[in-house]
Amino acid sequence: MALLLRTHYNLAKASLKQNRTRSFLTCLGIAIGVASIILILSLMGSIKNLIATQVSSIGSNLIVVRPATHKDAVSSIIEELTSSNQYAKSSLTLSDVDKIKGLENISAVAPIAISNNTIHGDNTVNSGTIVGTNADFINIQNFSISSGSFLDKNSPDNAAVVGYSIAIELFGTPDNSITKTISIRGQKFIVTGVLEKIEDPINFNNVDLDNAVLIDANMLHSIDNSIQIQQINIKTSTTDTISETASNINDALIKEKAGDNNFSVAYGDQITHPTGSLITIISGILAMVASISLVVGGIGVMNIMLVSVSERTHEIGIRKAVGASNSNILLQFLFESLILSLLGGLFGLALGYIIAFLISLITPFSPYISLEILAITVATSLIVGIIFGLYPALKAAHKNPIESLKHYR
Amino acid sequence: MTGKGHPIIELKKLTKRYGYGDTESFALKDFDLTVKRGEFIMIMGPSGCGKTTLLNIIGLLDQATSGSYSLNGEAVESISKRRQARLRARKIGFVFQNFNLISDLSVIENVALPLVYSGYSKTHRLTQASSTLGRFHLKEREYYMPWQLSGGQQQRVAIARTIVSDPEIILADEPTGNLDSRSSHIVMEELKNIHQEGNTIIMVTHNPSLTTYATRVINMLDGHIDTDIKTVADRDLPQPISVRFNKKEEN
Ligand SMILES: Nc1ncnc2c1ncn2[C@@H]1O[C@H](COP(=O)(O)OP(=O)(O)O)[C@@H](O)[C@H]1O
Ligand SMILES: [Mg+2]
Repeated sequence: MALLLRTHYNLAKASLKQNRTRSFLTCLGIAIGVASIILILSLMGSIKNLIATQVSSIGSNLIVVRPATHKDAVSSIIEELTSSNQYAKSSLTLSDVDKIKGLENISAVAPIAISNNTIHGDNTVNSGTIVGTNADFINIQNFSISSGSFLDKNSPDNAAVVGYSIAIELFGTPDNSITKTISIRGQKFIVTGVLEKIEDPINFNNVDLDNAVLIDANMLHSIDNSIQIQQINIKTSTTDTISETASNINDALIKEKAGDNNFSVAYGDQITHPTGSLITIISGILAMVASISLVVGGIGVMNIMLVSVSERTHEIGIRKAVGASNSNILLQFLFESLILSLLGGLFGLALGYIIAFLISLITPFSPYISLEILAITVATSLIVGIIFGLYPALKAAHKNPIESLKHYR
Repeated sequence: MTGKGHPIIELKKLTKRYGYGDTESFALKDFDLTVKRGEFIMIMGPSGCGKTTLLNIIGLLDQATSGSYSLNGEAVESISKRRQARLRARKIGFVFQNFNLISDLSVIENVALPLVYSGYSKTHRLTQASSTLGRFHLKEREYYMPWQLSGGQQQRVAIARTIVSDPEIILADEPTGNLDSRSSHIVMEELKNIHQEGNTIIMVTHNPSLTTYATRVINMLDGHIDTDIKTVADRDLPQPISVRFNKKEEN
């Protein structure tokens, strides 16, 4: 059997070599499909890595509460694409923050509430991001302050800390921003601090702080009661009991919400699942394009195999006359389509990484390579090869030998 | 193959029908034929009388509509498709009028083809094919492509392919039909040698002068046997080495 398989493999290889250009173009079809899948997987992996690095730099005593339960990638992508606002139905409230604060082993709790509004400074920023949080935010994740100070207990209610980039937008320069006034929805705020430049638009908070104004969460709620809490960051006092603390938080919130457990408590690796909603949408679209192009590539394989089968009708007749069984012929042609799609897959793997690398030159992504991705590539291309190669191979196998022998070239 | 006492081929009331109703026609009708091991049968007859159909059925490439065919005492209908294919690879060899070599394969690969389907390793296939080609004085042409050979050479390659797996039955459908008389002669001498080694040969021809090679000449007409003449007594038929050896001991 092994011998026969090797023979079929050699036969298929020889016949593919005979039609180099044709084989190459067919491989290219598969390669493009596989490359886009690799690209997506690589980008997603790179996002995960970025966040994982951030989380581990914060420390292993971080717990994050998010509205809505964990969903698998596909359903969350679909939801992303069909709903305009990711956290339209956020189940978290500011009272949850106080509730968590009261639990054991908690050293800091900070909400991240988001509102998008026009911000007036020296210049106006339309639809700027306003983050409602509290003084604990900087205790959980240590930010460098460029000038002034972060929100603290002594700050006035209308204190605002601005990101480096938005400071430039509002005031032209980040340097003299302190004590300047901004207004949001008619409410005046005094700038008390400017953050250092942060270059991580992709992060586990799912907010680009460089382009955000941070104010007190209660204050934000009083000027915009439609705000949504998209995340609560929690720092525990010890790392040993983090799982107990997490389940305590979970229990407390379930009790608070009378059994409505439409939220999730994550720590460690669980925090790193891709959260960037734009990224998720782009990945979703890419995934669809990739699967379409993979199907198109597969149809290419089927097409070329059908041509090959009909061109080689005479050969099939001869092979049957000298002793090939139907399954011999089937395997011969199936191997051909498998080799085509596998070569296409490996080619696509390389192509995908090259593109990911090029993207990494202009974005914060870095190409992410794993054995898992390699396995997915090989499996996908084998499946495509079998699905689209089976029909032509069956067609070849069931050719009538006598009629086939009459097909001279 | 088993069944020493059985004729190698036994056809009874074999019928091959094409079409139904108004278009119905018979390529073979109630065809009876018994072939003994070691016979060299020449089949003659006008075009369209069913000679090719007969060879295709005997060679397991085609199925009869009705009637019975036993190969070495075994009813062919009861042999699975897969085993029929294996029998074609090991026990039956075809020689065609138009050679039917695979144009993309070199001479030696063409010759080795039946061995692919009998499950031999590549090394074995190539040495076996090479030594068979040597016998046909084609060794220096091993790595030629079929189109680089003359018609006579191509037909000798085809015959080499037929005997490379040491079959028992050789079916030749007008093997000299596309050859000049000199090449025809060479090909016939090869077939004669193969026959002398104890193989059973059934050959279709239009050339009456070739019948001198045969031990039996059958004339067909409209799907049945018209005349059937044996020119050599059954006991004088060449036998495979092993069979001949047994006979000597009996004496
Ligand atoms: N596939 C087919 N469909 C219909 N009729 C066929 C087919 N093959 C052969 N025949 C008919 O069967 C008869 C015998 O054909 P064949 O065996 O090729 O004759 P021969 O080889 O003696 O010239 C012919 O009349 C031919 O027309
Ligand atoms: Mg004929």
